[in-house]
Amino acid sequence: MTTERVERFKFSARFAHWGHTVTFLVLLFTGLTLYSDWFSFLIPIFGGREGAQLVHRIFAIGFTVIPIVCLIANPGGFVQWLKDVISWTWDDIKFIMVFPLEFFGLPVKIPPQGQFNGGEKMNSMVTTTSCVLLALSGYIMWFPQAFPMGLVRSAYPIHDICMVLATTMVCMHAYLGSFHTGSGESFWGMWKGTVRSDWAAHHHAKWFRQITDKDANSHHQYQWQRGAGK
Amino acid sequence: MANKTLCIDVTKCTGCRGCQVACKQWNQLDAEILPFNGSYQTHEGTGPQTFTIVSMNEREVNGKMDWLFAKKQCMHCIDAPCVKVCPTKALSYSEFGAVTRDLSKCIGCKYCVAACPFGIPKYRKDLDKVTKCSLCSERVAEGLTTACAKTCVTGAIQFGDRDELLAAAEARVQELQKTNPDAQVYGKTEVGSGTNVIYVLGDKPEAYGFPKDAKAPAHIGVWQNAIQPYAGWLVAAAAAGAFVSFFTTRIFKAGQATHAEGGKSHDH
Repeated sequence: MTTERVERFKFSARFAHWGHTVTFLVLLFTGLTLYSDWFSFLIPIFGGREGAQLVHRIFAIGFTVIPIVCLIANPGGFVQWLKDVISWTWDDIKFIMVFPLEFFGLPVKIPPQGQFNGGEKMNSMVTTTSCVLLALSGYIMWFPQAFPMGLVRSAYPIHDICMVLATTMVCMHAYLGSFHTGSGESFWGMWKGTVRSDWAAHHHAKWFRQITDKDANSHHQYQWQRGAGK
Repeated sequence: MANKTLCIDVTKCTGCRGCQVACKQWNQLDAEILPFNGSYQTHEGTGPQTFTIVSMNEREVNGKMDWLFAKKQCMHCIDAPCVKVCPTKALSYSEFGAVTRDLSKCIGCKYCVAACPFGIPKYRKDLDKVTKCSLCSERVAEGLTTACAKTCVTGAIQFGDRDELLAAAEARVQELQKTNPDAQVYGKTEVGSGTNVIYVLGDKPEAYGFPKDAKAPAHIGVWQNAIQPYAGWLVAAAAAGAFVSFFTTRIFKAGQATHAEGGKSHDH
């Protein structure tokens, strides 16, 4: 069987995703050295606490610049993604309710999903909100003299809460995007930008119908769908 | 070890600022020369190289100029917010209860600056460290008194056992209240369990620029007591969930047709 592929993520989206993967992880591990003594073993890796602080600040700038660059490079895609992840349907809610079973490998009936399933929408919402708040509270703590004391004080718990929420999501997300048996092609969607069409049809039926209908109308490469591929 | 406390009777202070000079000399701090701002007070507050400062509040009482002096420095809280937030433990308590700082551990993150209810610690740019009064811990460890107490000509600054000084301060306030009804001891219960700098004030604390109700900022309770010790378990739970799922998905899958590798079996 030939493996037809459909585009899932444009370069700008993938660049933002992996750019944030690297910067988030470096920021996390440099930041954890201050969060808890459990992570003091990480300190020598960055050349002491001062080194960790410097690395944290350098990557913080990258963390801030990457989404801005991607927003400028592909504003339409960026806005479309944000719109997608905040628009919830009954199918998304059902997904969230049954997914814990699927997560552990139990057979469940999952309603058809759009480009982003309910879980991906939740992940995007939590991590995006956390990233924005992490960046804002981070700059406030970096330049405390420029902000009112009340704001500076509230920045500490906010930075911590968002770090914990984002890291929790990242743990789940990284696993689901790699070793989870039910996720299959999703990794390649973010790595190469394309996924196998049959995978897309199965996991993201609503989205697949959308893109293929559009393309079918323009007699594009998805004619296989009417019989050829199966 | 009993707490050693600085007791400052502002009603005996003449504003000579000998304590400021003695402090600079002992701690080898440079002069911070600022433009004249219309007051005899040398600096607005403590600075990176100014650990103590005599504040001079001018006011008018019955048509006459009244001048309130109060030597200010780190209050050495018994339950200090700055010690609580310091992530590198550069701030800690000495055996006499003073809040000391180990500059070799300080990374200049300024958490303590945001935590202090009195606005005392100051960031010193040339060292990239935060500095403040240490209640002359090095001197006290050798059985000496603090530099400021040593130099005070009027006896307004006393250094010694906290309980004794507190009792003496309260007796002094009793005396003062005959003429100054608002005279009070400040630092007995401030910031929760009191401070290791106590004041005999001739008026309300606000008159001297002290916070009326000094307490640890609320964010410390939220952040340091609730979030920091426990919230991390959420991450651990997520990681553990993923770990368990890695095996259970493979176990359950063994008996099922799979859609995992790309929906080749669309029969379910």
